[in-house]
Amino acid sequence: MFEMFSYGFMQRALLASFLIGLVCSVIGVFVVLKGLSFIGAGTAHAAFAGVALAFLIGAPPLLMAVIFGLSTVWITGALQQAGKMKPDVSIGIFYTLTMALAILFLGLMKAYNPEVYGYLFGSILSVTSSDLKVILLLTLGILLTISLFFKEFHFISFDQEMAEASGIPARNLFFLLLNLISLSIVISLKAVGAILVFALLVIPAAAAEQWANNMRSMMIYSAVLGVFSSWAGVILSYWLDLPSGSTIVLIAAAIFFLSVLFSPKRRKKPPSKTPAPEVGGAAA
Amino acid sequence: MIDHAPQKSERAAKPASKPIIQFSHATFAYPDRIALEDITLDLMEGEFVGVIGPNGSGKTTFLKGILGLILPVHGTLQIFDCACEALRCHHRARIGYLPQKKLVDPHYPITTWEVVMMGRYGAIGLFHRPSQKDREIVLESLQAVGMEPLRDAPFGSLSGGQQQRVLIARALAQRPEILLLDEPTTGIDATTQHHLIDLIRRLHQEYHLTILFVTHDINTISPFVDTLLLLNTRLYGKGTPREILTQETLSQVYGKEILLAEREKGPYVIMNDYHHAG
Repeated sequence: MFEMFSYGFMQRALLASFLIGLVCSVIGVFVVLKGLSFIGAGTAHAAFAGVALAFLIGAPPLLMAVIFGLSTVWITGALQQAGKMKPDVSIGIFYTLTMALAILFLGLMKAYNPEVYGYLFGSILSVTSSDLKVILLLTLGILLTISLFFKEFHFISFDQEMAEASGIPARNLFFLLLNLISLSIVISLKAVGAILVFALLVIPAAAAEQWANNMRSMMIYSAVLGVFSSWAGVILSYWLDLPSGSTIVLIAAAIFFLSVLFSPKRRKKPPSKTPAPEVGGAAA
Repeated sequence: MIDHAPQKSERAAKPASKPIIQFSHATFAYPDRIALEDITLDLMEGEFVGVIGPNGSGKTTFLKGILGLILPVHGTLQIFDCACEALRCHHRARIGYLPQKKLVDPHYPITTWEVVMMGRYGAIGLFHRPSQKDREIVLESLQAVGMEPLRDAPFGSLSGGQQQRVLIARALAQRPEILLLDEPTTGIDATTQHHLIDLIRRLHQEYHLTILFVTHDINTISPFVDTLLLLNTRLYGKGTPREILTQETLSQVYGKEILLAEREKGPYVIMNDYHHAG
């Protein structure tokens, strides 16, 4: 059973799934806490439209995915800042608009192209070494940026208005966060697929939230769950000859449901016994 | 207790405080409506100001203007001798703000300590980590509101009144000169309300803060404030509670029957459909 690890494609798949599982579950913490899941879904579909166009006109797919993914975020952000449109409305429109574009581009192609469908449903076993380089580079870039702005991202996830009011450049940082989310989605597109990538962003972090009492532990739990589900999914899908993207997501979802069932936060407990000190008596 | 607070003697030595917030014919508008119109007033350093007015009278916009979160479309607003358009992050860090209470996800993974530490983030700046000094300030702020024993408790597990105290501690951790409180006592039981107001009065004295306390509940704060502002898009009055809480002024703004009862600490306002007054 260990001979699978000697194949080049399997080694690439395991490395790619490690990186993707890591970056998605880490940034997913902010997606879950700040309630950005819909933006994640919208970006994934926009990026897929970019891939479809790339195959139609013969452009590099990753580049087109980046352009489509980031511009969705920018337009949504600009509309929101201008106070013109609520983000869920503009994302809802982009979501369907870009999907319509993707279907149009697919329809315009003369021949059936299985590689495009790989981007839709995910095919981690076909990750090439040049794909891997891009994934590695962007993963490192995204993780470095998160670690640089960790405390600010934490603050704006908790309360953006408050962050702005207390002297954090909150709008710019929120925009940066959206771009990082978008990039994480783009690099995961080929491996997990446009339809499922978004699950990898949300599920490990949502499961981690069931256990964590502070941000640091939520990050660590989420990363561990993300990497574990990705690896388990790749290995299981190889053994049982299942589609890798769906296996990864199903494993992550199973962990999520177990977390909800056994979460210490969801157990009914009597009101806290720790007596709150009275304000009046607290005068120092 | 916190070292930026001037000593009592020092404060007594400079009786004439200077204006810290100056509105001059300032108008604030949203795309669909004017929230505040032609506001002109000066607020002094160290003043304890109550801001009252009916629902939608622009009370929250008033605070957001001071924070520079919304800019005047006409007129000017100066804070710390600085036009609000030019208000930068380091100015905002000198203003503590307790926004209107909103629902906090009870599962949000954050401890009391972390919430208060966020008050330091503006001063710490990008790319830096909290220092020993920041941790000391957070500890002092928690002690000042009596929440130090629950420093490691998840914020979501605290009661409404405890959460408000933690959020006040966060504002204090900024070491602010101005403290803006937006309906801090709403949704809290009466006993806790009184404790909270006692706490705010004590902080006002200890830290020589300029406090703006927005509330719909006139009677709770009128005995404690130096100045009342009565807003209803326009500024209808600024003065001591006794000057503002008159039948004439109040019925002009609230448009309903007003009864005033005299009590030891000043007038007590009764509106005939008080609950709809919000």
